[in-house]
Amino acid sequence: MNHTATIPGIKQGLHPLKILIIILILLGLGIFPFVFENRFYISLITEMMIYGLLAMSLDVLLGYTGALSFMHNAYLGISAYVVGLFLIHVSPTSLWLACFAGIAFTTIVALPVGWVQVRTGGLAFALLTLAFGMMFYTIVWKWYSVTGGDDGLMGMPNPDITLFGWHLGSSSDPVAIYLFTLVIAFICFVLTRRIINSPFGAVLEAIRENENRAAFVGINVRRYKLLGWMLACILASISGALFILYKGYIGPSTMSAFAGAGVLMMVLLGGMGSLWGAFVGAALFIYIQDYISTMSEHWEIYLGLVVIFLVLFLPTGFVGLGDHLKRFRKG
Amino acid sequence: MQIHRTGKHIMGGTLGIIVDISLNSLVLSGVFLIVAIGLNIIYGLSRIMNMGHGALYAVGAYTGYTLVATGLNYFAALIIAPIVVGAVGLLIERTIIAPMRKRSMVYTLILTYGLMFFLDGMIKYVWGNKPCFIDLPAFLKGTIPILGTQYPIFRLATLFFIAAIMGGLMLFLNKTKVGIILRASSTIPEMVSCLGINMNYVHMGAFVLGCIMAGVAGIIAGPLTTIDPLMGGEMLISSFVVIVIGGLGSLRGAVIAAILIGFVQTLAEFFITDLAMVIVYILMAVILAFMPRGLLGEGKFE
Repeated sequence: MNHTATIPGIKQGLHPLKILIIILILLGLGIFPFVFENRFYISLITEMMIYGLLAMSLDVLLGYTGALSFMHNAYLGISAYVVGLFLIHVSPTSLWLACFAGIAFTTIVALPVGWVQVRTGGLAFALLTLAFGMMFYTIVWKWYSVTGGDDGLMGMPNPDITLFGWHLGSSSDPVAIYLFTLVIAFICFVLTRRIINSPFGAVLEAIRENENRAAFVGINVRRYKLLGWMLACILASISGALFILYKGYIGPSTMSAFAGAGVLMMVLLGGMGSLWGAFVGAALFIYIQDYISTMSEHWEIYLGLVVIFLVLFLPTGFVGLGDHLKRFRKG
Repeated sequence: MQIHRTGKHIMGGTLGIIVDISLNSLVLSGVFLIVAIGLNIIYGLSRIMNMGHGALYAVGAYTGYTLVATGLNYFAALIIAPIVVGAVGLLIERTIIAPMRKRSMVYTLILTYGLMFFLDGMIKYVWGNKPCFIDLPAFLKGTIPILGTQYPIFRLATLFFIAAIMGGLMLFLNKTKVGIILRASSTIPEMVSCLGINMNYVHMGAFVLGCIMAGVAGIIAGPLTTIDPLMGGEMLISSFVVIVIGGLGSLRGAVIAAILIGFVQTLAEFFITDLAMVIVYILMAVILAFMPRGLLGEGKFE
């Protein structure tokens, strides 16, 4: 029994066992491409990590701020387009500058959108994410001369990837992308976890639990919601930069409402309000999608059914499943 | 939704164009209004935002298409299609919405989002990806001259029909006992249930009424536009724009917002075809930046 007083919402340090597990998972993922040289699985895991990062960014919004975004993939798309356009038109070699441009541009776009959205309250916030998401989708789809319209952005150069002075190889090499994604995703995960476990994260959770009460305590609800939104959008833009490096291509379908529902489902599958659950959810989702899409073209029906099933019977997702089992074992 | 252009106003000159645009935007506003009112009825009573509403609207249009294609009169389809959609709504309400009533809003939003994909997928499964067109009876196909333009008779008839539907709904909500119960339940549900009225039936009735409205909008819009699997999603977004601008749950706000959005969208489509919707979204953002609760604020029934 642990009787030490803890401030609610602010978690204490990690259990050594958990640190060990995390190190083992990292090591396992790190040596994976050198042991199994199957390119298909290397790409699949890269995609899982990129979408895990996106799902984690949505989880920051949904699980901690309690605000729902139907089309968070729009911010992945915007960032990916900007990185791609920068590499094509400005400089085909300066990768870090391109990523910085993508993140900066997404921030500039997300700021006014978030500013309007946090003013309107819970439900309208969710409806507006859909409307703004569709707006970005329409722009990308119809602005043929810049974005390539329906065909997507073609002719991406393959810049060299260097990380902390360590040359990983060209971006056309799946192993280089894999390692790059692994490192960036892990850094983002650690940083986000640190932010969420700080008093700032506690404020976000207070807003999620009761917005009015948080306001009475003297918290500027709109400001914190906007900060939460910006954090989520910046994380999404990082995943966007990784996405275009990994695919070498971006089309409007990545920004569609359908893809947005997929991201939402990753968070649901993993369980809301736990950052690592988002990665588990993304891995499960991408694996299932890969499996079903080879069998049936009516993937929408299954997606809908799985979402309905999850909300009705397993609203806590994979993470909650573990808690259920624990409670079951204790009796 | 994008109403097909008539293309007959060339002979009419400027006045003809103005009359044409105004009437077209009124028709568009009317369809937006009926879908948005359906959403608002469900939201005002049960605090559930039905993301599957656009798909139900598409089901209405497709059902109308099938009925007319099998040789039925359009007017028969006008009555049967909303009933079919209402039945689908009843089924949905009983199976998945009713158990969720006590849960938080986020869950019902995600649940109905899943419902939307399920319905969209089913539509593609049953009717395929091809665009369809509803064939109108001969006497509705013609045009009549109004103020220097040749305007399709069907669109004028649609305008009258929408006005009749709205008038009927107002009478229903204000004069009949069921309507009064619905309005009372949107204000003080506890009191209504204390008076011995089963709130389960009230919620069910509101959901089915909302779905019937979606079906009505679908069968009206069917002949005006191309029926394709994308129509539901587009209409969902448009009706969200309308109810968010008008104020969630406010019926009067929906009327004003629908007329505003109808006009802006028709004008934008006339001048810049491709990015018309972007103008609408920017207008929405500007209105909400200054009036975050919409034009009339979080509203109740009339």
